[in-house]
Amino acid sequence: MGRYIAKRILYIMVVFVLLTFMLFSLYRLMPANRAYTDAKAEIQALKNSIPASERDTKFDELYLKYQRMYGTDTDNTVILYLRWLGVYPYYNGKCNGIFQGNFGHSYEYNAPVLQVLAPCLRNSMLIGAFSEVFILIITIPLGINCAVKRNTPFDRGVQAFSLIGFSTPSFIIYICFILLFSSILGWFPVSGMKTPGSDYHGAKFVMDTLWHITLPAICLIFSGLAYNIRITRASMLDALSLDCIRTARAKGLSQRTVIYTHAWRNALIPLVSVFVGGFFGIIGGAIFMESMFGFKGMGLLLFNSTKTADYDMIMFIQVIYVFIGLVANLVTDLCYGLVDPRVRISK
Amino acid sequence: MSNKSKKHENIFRKLARWFVRVFMGLKYEEKWFPRESKGEDQDKKPDDSEFIVSPGRQAFNSYMERKFAVVAFIVVIVMFLIVFIVPNFMPKYSDSYTEVTLKNLPPNLTMMSVPKELKNDIKMIDSYGSFSVGLSNAGKVYVWGCKKLGASGMDVEVPEEYQDIKMAMVAAGVDHVIAIGEDGKIYGWGSDRFGQYGRSANSIESSTIEAMPEELYENGVDVAHVKKLTCGYQATAILMDDGTIYVWGNKQTYSNMNNFIGRTDIYDVDFTLNYIVGLDSKRSNVYTGTRGLYDMARTKIGGKATKMFEFLNGRKIDEITATTSSVCLLLDDGSIALAGDFVADSIEVPTLAAGEEFVDIKAGNYHYTALTNLGNVYSFGGDHYYQAEAPANIGKVAKIFTGAFQSYAVDANGDYMSAWGFRGFPLGSDDVGANILERMIVGGRITMTVGAVAVIIEILIGVTLGCISGYYGGWVDILIMRVAEVFSSLPTIPIMLILTSLIAQMSLTTNQRLFMIMCVLGVLGWPGFANITRAQILVARESEYVTAAQAMGVREGKIAFKHILPNIVSVILVSMTLSFAAAMQTETGLSFLGFGVNYPQPSWGNMLTKASNATAAKNFWWQWVFTSAILIFVGVCINTIGDTIRDVMDPKSSSER
Repeated sequence: MGRYIAKRILYIMVVFVLLTFMLFSLYRLMPANRAYTDAKAEIQALKNSIPASERDTKFDELYLKYQRMYGTDTDNTVILYLRWLGVYPYYNGKCNGIFQGNFGHSYEYNAPVLQVLAPCLRNSMLIGAFSEVFILIITIPLGINCAVKRNTPFDRGVQAFSLIGFSTPSFIIYICFILLFSSILGWFPVSGMKTPGSDYHGAKFVMDTLWHITLPAICLIFSGLAYNIRITRASMLDALSLDCIRTARAKGLSQRTVIYTHAWRNALIPLVSVFVGGFFGIIGGAIFMESMFGFKGMGLLLFNSTKTADYDMIMFIQVIYVFIGLVANLVTDLCYGLVDPRVRISK
Repeated sequence: MSNKSKKHENIFRKLARWFVRVFMGLKYEEKWFPRESKGEDQDKKPDDSEFIVSPGRQAFNSYMERKFAVVAFIVVIVMFLIVFIVPNFMPKYSDSYTEVTLKNLPPNLTMMSVPKELKNDIKMIDSYGSFSVGLSNAGKVYVWGCKKLGASGMDVEVPEEYQDIKMAMVAAGVDHVIAIGEDGKIYGWGSDRFGQYGRSANSIESSTIEAMPEELYENGVDVAHVKKLTCGYQATAILMDDGTIYVWGNKQTYSNMNNFIGRTDIYDVDFTLNYIVGLDSKRSNVYTGTRGLYDMARTKIGGKATKMFEFLNGRKIDEITATTSSVCLLLDDGSIALAGDFVADSIEVPTLAAGEEFVDIKAGNYHYTALTNLGNVYSFGGDHYYQAEAPANIGKVAKIFTGAFQSYAVDANGDYMSAWGFRGFPLGSDDVGANILERMIVGGRITMTVGAVAVIIEILIGVTLGCISGYYGGWVDILIMRVAEVFSSLPTIPIMLILTSLIAQMSLTTNQRLFMIMCVLGVLGWPGFANITRAQILVARESEYVTAAQAMGVREGKIAFKHILPNIVSVILVSMTLSFAAAMQTETGLSFLGFGVNYPQPSWGNMLTKASNATAAKNFWWQWVFTSAILIFVGVCINTIGDTIRDVMDPKSSSER
């Protein structure tokens, strides 16, 4: 097992480097030159103190200084990438990259990327984990019940709901919910994370925040139901048609034991990747929900960064996505081993 | 047996039988289309297991048994045909069409429906935007069209307290109505935010609003001597016989309003969208108070313009009437002169027969309708809503009236004869005044094209790589599957967002951009197809039926095409349907966020962007409800088709369920 994990981690590292290098090269094509803008800004500030004749040489000097500072004093993409990773030294002989904790600089917020990103990541993960747990609590029993009571009116109803829900883009669900709960009933605020102009502390702050994030959470849960019900029901149906279930029934085991112990264990195998994917997906945030509610999470951050062409930020978020994707794959495979003994034996 | 008789079945009979089965059920089908061989079948009906039916036929038959799925299939096909064929029959449609006077209008088809009570008693009709006002000879005012205005939520129906007052004249602006009573009092209703009527504190204080003159407000006018009452965008003018003119309203729209205030030598007046145009007592040029405006005249829309002075050559102007950007002058010799700009799709001025001359001319927002001394009616000018295509043979017309996009012909008794022009938007208009139904159809074409092309790209990449992977195995297989794994583990929407924002940085035409989006969608979606294809090929290579076929000496090529391929195709078909729905949804989502298809190109996604604003979503429900409904409906249908195909293809499910 240990060897297997080590192998997988090695593989992850290789893919990670390859993918990030590809992305890095892609972003190199974008017209963003921080050294140039900074040098330009400084020369503007110094405009009056130096004579016009020296301005060009001074600018070149400054430009070089900033290029060296930001490590862009070469056109070699590989070197730039290695500097970005933090394994190739800058002009001053020091490494300053991801391995040293420098994830880039956000132009938009004029702050280190990590500093801007951390609270967003926290928000996204909190609401995402909360709603993901709720989704599972609702959909697993519902999916199992539907599969067991196949073709009853109950199942038909749930199936119709999940078909419509599955075919509805999530933002339409959000529009309807905002309209119903905020505009018409007025129970929740339309958007935002705190009452504008308020400066609450302690319990009041918590209450205010809860009041603001209830509707986003409900929306997130609701939009996740359909897909999960569909997939749970489908894999449970497959599991129920297995021969081992017939055998279990023939043995005279109780319905409960047959369904929850025998069938569910089998149904879980294809579901593992969905569940793991769901939990890792929360790190990416929910773009539609966050952009519609103005919820400060990863999705909104990415959305705004792409709108304002904040490349360091986008690059880092992208790196996170790639990393999460790879780790999620590993975790999924490990979970397969957990729920499926056959996989465990074969490794 | 029964198969044989079916083979001889006429195609039309077959279609009719399907139709009956789909919409009326199996019972009627058996009743109306009895199987010819039924009699001999009955006694020796073979057992199910003795039938040799190919898997494809079996799946097709069981698909046809599911009514809902068949309906879904027909719906999707019809939808496809609609979105790909109907745009060819919308010659007036343009992606970037905007119309300021028709913004945010609810679904309404009554813009040309003159109320029944008014039809035999028409005194005058006027309109500037989405609603029209009419006055009967009895002095009663009627309003029709979109009475609740989208932009301001204002109701322009005649207020309760004014309903019993006998009116002498009435005119409508874009969101207000001004009426002069028989008593000379001036009544206004609708919006007064820009001083359209009344003397609110705001209108007196504001420097961009000219309030209604005080003497007019207090005492009214002498009705007998009112020459003309006309309304502009958010302004009104009353012209008296003696040349005195009263103008009030939004000065931001009509910047030359000051030039008319206090004048006593005005002969005629009208409003374009941005200027007040008038005739002074000399009647030899268009007076706007601004140099260089409307000083070149021509007789035809496409004709050569000459200086007004030279053009008139001593003739006097009798009447001036204006659309939003042009003016039409009726000269004292019965001919007309045009000045200003006309929209591209304008209908040319008709050439009159000898002895026929124009006696009256009225203007809508883009078109003119003219009446000749023989009682003939001609329309010309902007024709976007077919408002400049007057029907032939109306009869002898005595009076003509125009709405903003409509024309009405009235006979000598004041009886309604005919109307032509714009009925209204069946599904409302959006925030720039474009027809939502038209945009929905064209948007559907774009959304479905994006979905379809994306799926085709997915299939091309996925199936090819899957085949290679499954066929060769070894390190090629491992490599491809690892790459597929990485691709499928990336979160779709965020990555898509990043890639489309990169595309946005490139300088591409809209169609290239669209194609790039399709490519991005396709390139990110292929791993699913690769996985299925690979799995199917692996299974097929090992399966017993292939071994059996090999043992029977069937040729390799035949095994590949007759045995393995159909199995893969069926699975790919399912995946394709579901992927199509998913690709459509992804495109809609991206466009909704503003990253996929951008305005002015419509897509079902970017038509919903405005609805993310809660207030807009609530007030202008028609701007998102219909589009969302069609989106969900098509999604449900496609997913149903996919689910059903999967069910009928699955031998396990068909035997059990």
